[in-house]
Amino acid sequence: MQEIAWFLPAWPPAFGELAQFGALLIAGLLGGELARRLAALPRITGYVLVGVLCGPQVLGLVEGPLAAGARVFVDLALGLIMFELGHRFDLEWLRRNRWLALAALGESAGAFLAIYGGLLYFDNPPLVAAAAAAVGTATSPAVVMLVSHELRASGQITERMLLFTAVNCVFAYVALTLLLPLLHLEHASGWRAAILHPLYLLAGAALLGLAGAHLLLALARWLGKREDRQFILLVALVVLVVGCARALNLPVVVALLMLGMLARNLDDDHVLQPLRFGHAGQLLFVVLFVLTGASLEFGGLGTAAVVAAVFIVVRFLGKAIAILALGRLSGLRAGGAGLLSLSLLPMSGLAVVMVHDTATLYPSFGAELASVVLSAVAVLELIGPLATQFALKHAGEAHPEA
Amino acid sequence: MEFAPSRSLSLGIEIELQLVRAHDRDLAHEAGDLIERLAKKKVPGAVKPEVTLSMIELNSSIQTSFAGVLAELEAQRAVVCEAAGMLNLGVCGGGAHPFHDWSERRVYPAERFKAVTQRYGYLAKQFTVFGQHIHLGCSNGDEAVYLVHMLTRYMPQFIALSAASPFYQGEDTAFQSSRLTAVSAFPLSGHMPLVPDWPAFLEYFETMRGFGIVEGMKDFYWDIRPKPEYGTIEIRVCDTPLTVRRAALLAAYAQALAAWLLEERTRKPAAAVYQVNAFNRFEACRFGYLGELVDPYTRRKKRIGEDILDTAAALMPQAARLGSVEAVRELTETVRRGYSDAGWLRSRLAVSGSLPDVVREAAELWAKPDAAAHL
Repeated sequence: MQEIAWFLPAWPPAFGELAQFGALLIAGLLGGELARRLAALPRITGYVLVGVLCGPQVLGLVEGPLAAGARVFVDLALGLIMFELGHRFDLEWLRRNRWLALAALGESAGAFLAIYGGLLYFDNPPLVAAAAAAVGTATSPAVVMLVSHELRASGQITERMLLFTAVNCVFAYVALTLLLPLLHLEHASGWRAAILHPLYLLAGAALLGLAGAHLLLALARWLGKREDRQFILLVALVVLVVGCARALNLPVVVALLMLGMLARNLDDDHVLQPLRFGHAGQLLFVVLFVLTGASLEFGGLGTAAVVAAVFIVVRFLGKAIAILALGRLSGLRAGGAGLLSLSLLPMSGLAVVMVHDTATLYPSFGAELASVVLSAVAVLELIGPLATQFALKHAGEAHPEA
Repeated sequence: MEFAPSRSLSLGIEIELQLVRAHDRDLAHEAGDLIERLAKKKVPGAVKPEVTLSMIELNSSIQTSFAGVLAELEAQRAVVCEAAGMLNLGVCGGGAHPFHDWSERRVYPAERFKAVTQRYGYLAKQFTVFGQHIHLGCSNGDEAVYLVHMLTRYMPQFIALSAASPFYQGEDTAFQSSRLTAVSAFPLSGHMPLVPDWPAFLEYFETMRGFGIVEGMKDFYWDIRPKPEYGTIEIRVCDTPLTVRRAALLAAYAQALAAWLLEERTRKPAAAVYQVNAFNRFEACRFGYLGELVDPYTRRKKRIGEDILDTAAALMPQAARLGSVEAVRELTETVRRGYSDAGWLRSRLAVSGSLPDVVREAAELWAKPDAAAHL
């Protein structure tokens, strides 16, 4: 035995991150297809369930180095999603349709105020309630984008869902950042930090997005209108901006949303070609949602069930009020406002990221915030995609064969 | 089937328009939303759904002059563009969307359209093409039959004048009008048989109905057909032009031509017209003004552009009486310069190299109030 054992691997073999990553992809892929075929659920739900199953709370297969190694893919996936979402934000439309602009702002403000009020009523500290409200204002960009891709959806509800999501993500980040001074003061870190920190975050992200957009447009102009070249350029810019934002301690999500929005609205000569994700995008989505599933925390659900339920219900009502009030004026057909409100239900990894970012600054406050928000996220991660799929299908905007 | 008489040479227009999305300029599926929105507005004429959710149809009321047609179309254009803007939709002319994928089309949720889809399968979705129909009033059925036969000789002119579908499914077809090829696939396309008068036409129609092939006139997809319930004949070969102005110019030319044919009466309906028809139609679709037309009466070949100029010169007295001399001149001037909407679309592609940009520019052109300077 010994004379041949030298070329055999040690037992058990040390499967590297690559093999684990491949296995995870297959598991996610199968989970998505099973969810779809057996229960007519959105594929995302299948990815998330596989993630939950492989995550630390059940089998514990996805931990440590793998999660860190896959981080690149998650960043890229989120980056592309935020970019596309920003790119769908059409300032011209809002100029032409003021009711729509008002409805988009009202949707964000309504969600924020409703959650804030709801949490205060249930005796949460004001600052925790406000931060949770800011986090809850955002709809999950990844879920709405992926469900609309999966259904090949096209129409007014789809367009407005994406537009409102872009607006409420920006609103959420700005609101959370503006709460920072209060946190700073409460934790006695001085008035200078209290003022300069939020200013640095918001202005920095905006400037980074602006610089990226100018670079993107300049290079795209030089490349010409070739879809394949432009796609590579786009991926490169997205990764670059993610990297820069991270290096400069700036909010990655805001920087990429700004990149997308500015690339769309500064492109006066229309040099950027319409953008298509294709199969590569699908691959990134599978990884993203499996890992999101693995990071969900159901542990607090037992104790925080009431808070989570209140959070989810008031959030939905807050979002729906402005849409229902302004829907017809802004040109939605009868019945459209309800479906649009429903489609905006998902909450996901973005909220987790926001909570974690806050927790990095103030661990004790972060823990309080997490106990309020993360249970609701865990529930909405599973219900949200269903709500969006239901809304788009009932709006008649899904492709008949999708 | 009665022929409901109407005022001779009165005019009516139907225009099918494309609805495009703002973010990628592909066809939208929002005809329902737009029509619901327009239902609350005061629109002259009518706006109607069509077979797929990517198109709407403008119908004029009954008009008598070029000026009336243009004013009404312009008013409709303004209202439709305003409403479409609220939904972030582009509206544009042109005979076909340059790069849409026909399998993506969705059928308008109405019984009539579902029946069409069930019967014709993929043809129904491939039929997402956009045409202008011109109705000309006739005082009786015999006049209608006569005009259909006499106008058939001139259909290649209308094809060349309106041609605006050089691209189809993302490719340059090399045709000036690729749209008519989509019509030819239908079993009841083609032309009216050479019947001498209205009673003879009715006999033919009853025979076809007896076979169970047709139920009404709408089942015939002819290039030009009588429309007895309106008391008109309907020219159906035109691509939707890129501007309302050109649409109105085409109507004015058709009206003056019909007036001339009704007065001159030097020629008679002839079998030769229909013998050369398929050849002439192809030449017009493929080459536009530069196509060669076989004149069934003189038995000589001539360029379609040249034929338009000769015809326009002949019908000037009638145009003068109808108040459309300027309109006919404006139209023939574009022929002299070799301008066609198809050529304009190709020139835009040559500049930008991108079909989505071509669609965007066509939508911007449609959105301009009275785009006269463009022609």
